[in-house]
Amino acid sequence: MRNENKLLRFINQNLVLLGIIVLVTVTAVIQPKFLMTRNLTNILRQMTSLAFVALGMTFVIIGGFIDLSVVGMVSLVSVITASLINPIGQVGALLCGLLAGALLGYLNGTILTKFGATIQAEVLFITYGMSSVFIAVGLLVTNAETLRIARSTRPYDMFTAIGSGSFLGIPISILIFAVILAIMYFFQTRTLAGRSISLMGGNKTAAYLCGFNINRTMQMVYTINGLMSAFGSIVLMSRVTTATATLGTGYEANAILCVVVGGTTLAGGKGNVLRTLLGVFLITLLSNCMNLLGLSTYMQTVMNGAVLVTAIWLDNRKRL
Amino acid sequence: MKKILSLFLVLVLAMSVSSAAFAEKKEVKIAFITQSLENASQAFAWSQFQEYAPQYGFTPYLFEEGYDPQKGVAAIGTCIAEGFAAISINPTDPSAMIPSFMEAQKAGVIVGMYSSEVPEEFKQYRDFMCGTNDIICGEVAAQTLMEAFPEGVKVVEVGGQSGHDAQIKRHNGFFDTIDPAKVTVLDSKNCPRWSSDDAMNIMNDFITLYGDEIQAVYCHWDIGATGCIEALKAANLLEGVYVIGVDGCMIGYDQVIEGTQQLCIGQNFTRMTTDTLDTIQKILNKEPYDEVTFTALDVVTPANVSTFPYPKW
Repeated sequence: MRNENKLLRFINQNLVLLGIIVLVTVTAVIQPKFLMTRNLTNILRQMTSLAFVALGMTFVIIGGFIDLSVVGMVSLVSVITASLINPIGQVGALLCGLLAGALLGYLNGTILTKFGATIQAEVLFITYGMSSVFIAVGLLVTNAETLRIARSTRPYDMFTAIGSGSFLGIPISILIFAVILAIMYFFQTRTLAGRSISLMGGNKTAAYLCGFNINRTMQMVYTINGLMSAFGSIVLMSRVTTATATLGTGYEANAILCVVVGGTTLAGGKGNVLRTLLGVFLITLLSNCMNLLGLSTYMQTVMNGAVLVTAIWLDNRKRL
Repeated sequence: MKKILSLFLVLVLAMSVSSAAFAEKKEVKIAFITQSLENASQAFAWSQFQEYAPQYGFTPYLFEEGYDPQKGVAAIGTCIAEGFAAISINPTDPSAMIPSFMEAQKAGVIVGMYSSEVPEEFKQYRDFMCGTNDIICGEVAAQTLMEAFPEGVKVVEVGGQSGHDAQIKRHNGFFDTIDPAKVTVLDSKNCPRWSSDDAMNIMNDFITLYGDEIQAVYCHWDIGATGCIEALKAANLLEGVYVIGVDGCMIGYDQVIEGTQQLCIGQNFTRMTTDTLDTIQKILNKEPYDEVTFTALDVVTPANVSTFPYPKW
């Protein structure tokens, strides 16, 4: 009896991992090419940009909020970065892109706190509005044109390395992500600021009474999210070698999907950046497997929806 | 004094009203209703309306659907209410617009299709069509591919946004034209969005499945072709693969010049716009006009790319 309970608890706590194992096994049996090194490297490259965005989104959701403006930030940062390569060089463009992402996130946080947005619905609509603003600014800057890195007259090899380079067979973008993930994990679990996010997400009143500055924490969360979106944007832009005001379309939904699938509760307060990584891996893997198994795009959308609904259902069951 | 002042005020009022009425009479308003300006080709098309419409004495107004047919219906309603002379529309869903077209025609508004066409059974509800039909883009891609590989070829198709009008037509035009004895379609998959990232992911998966079997790639849009090219490059398979893209934007031309894309099927939006304006003017002047004006496609290859003007979008 006790062993059965242990097994059930183990399954309940490691559903994503089990899902990954089942998916890998089934696909590998039906389509052995799935296990080719090239395919596995592709999966890693495909997941990195989304992983960065989902990482930032994890903090937002743990904090009890949501951010639909990530797609706007991804697109605008890509446009800013690509258009700055010629005037200030690749290092300057990269740093400006990251700074722009952090500033856009900070702007989001500031607007939300100044407008007194306290519930998720308000935050949802304000960030949705901000996303439209960011995209529109990108369209104005580019005149809806696609910017191609290869058109730059100054060197852009750093972006090529981020997009398609590898070190000891591991994609450089994954190595960068691993470093950032370690920093973020340390921040979340070992610092007071990181823990204050969970406290705020779990119970804002309690966090306030404990002396935490809710507004400042909220600004910090959104700034982190902006910075992570900027990382995601630069990786994505480097990979596809183009920047547009519509780059990253759909990332907001996919990032939320990965975070929820990873086990972070939508109600806030609980979550883990490492588990988000598993969520990203599962979602990317799902898309890859379905392509290799010949499933249509419509079917893939159905599957993504089904995974999200199941994840939320399981999350609610855990909380009951 | 009061009487003089009153008279003066009445005169000023009468003058302003008559000048406003005169100005309104003179202005010929035409609407460009487009799917979304996020699409670079549509943003460029709008710039062409702004550039050329004044030469015809028209004032162009823009309405954007944002890929929502309901917004297109609302835009047509506005045009009818505000007495527009003509609308030129590139709708997200042509079939959904038919009742609105009927209303517009009843109100005397000229209805023109831009770069798209309504289904055959509804053609009487639009006055004219100018542009390229996306079906023809697919046909040209298939014909050029068969000419380039007379012995036969193995191709993969990376489609545009799944379910989008252009995606469906570019796919159908291609598949209806290919000779199955000569062209083997290894695989065909559409993207969730018009995103080069999605095109690249699908291409990567095709490379995993078919590797160096792939001799040609038919991608529904040039910027998507960029994603396919990058995927082929990363797998060291680009050399010898015949990449086809549709649109004719700067990136497509650049790729043809570099030799990474062998065929770019270009749509000339300047010509399409002037054709539209010509037709509207003829209808307004009650002159004979062509109900359908197909804008010739630019079939751009590395051999002839220098003979085409470099695109502005």
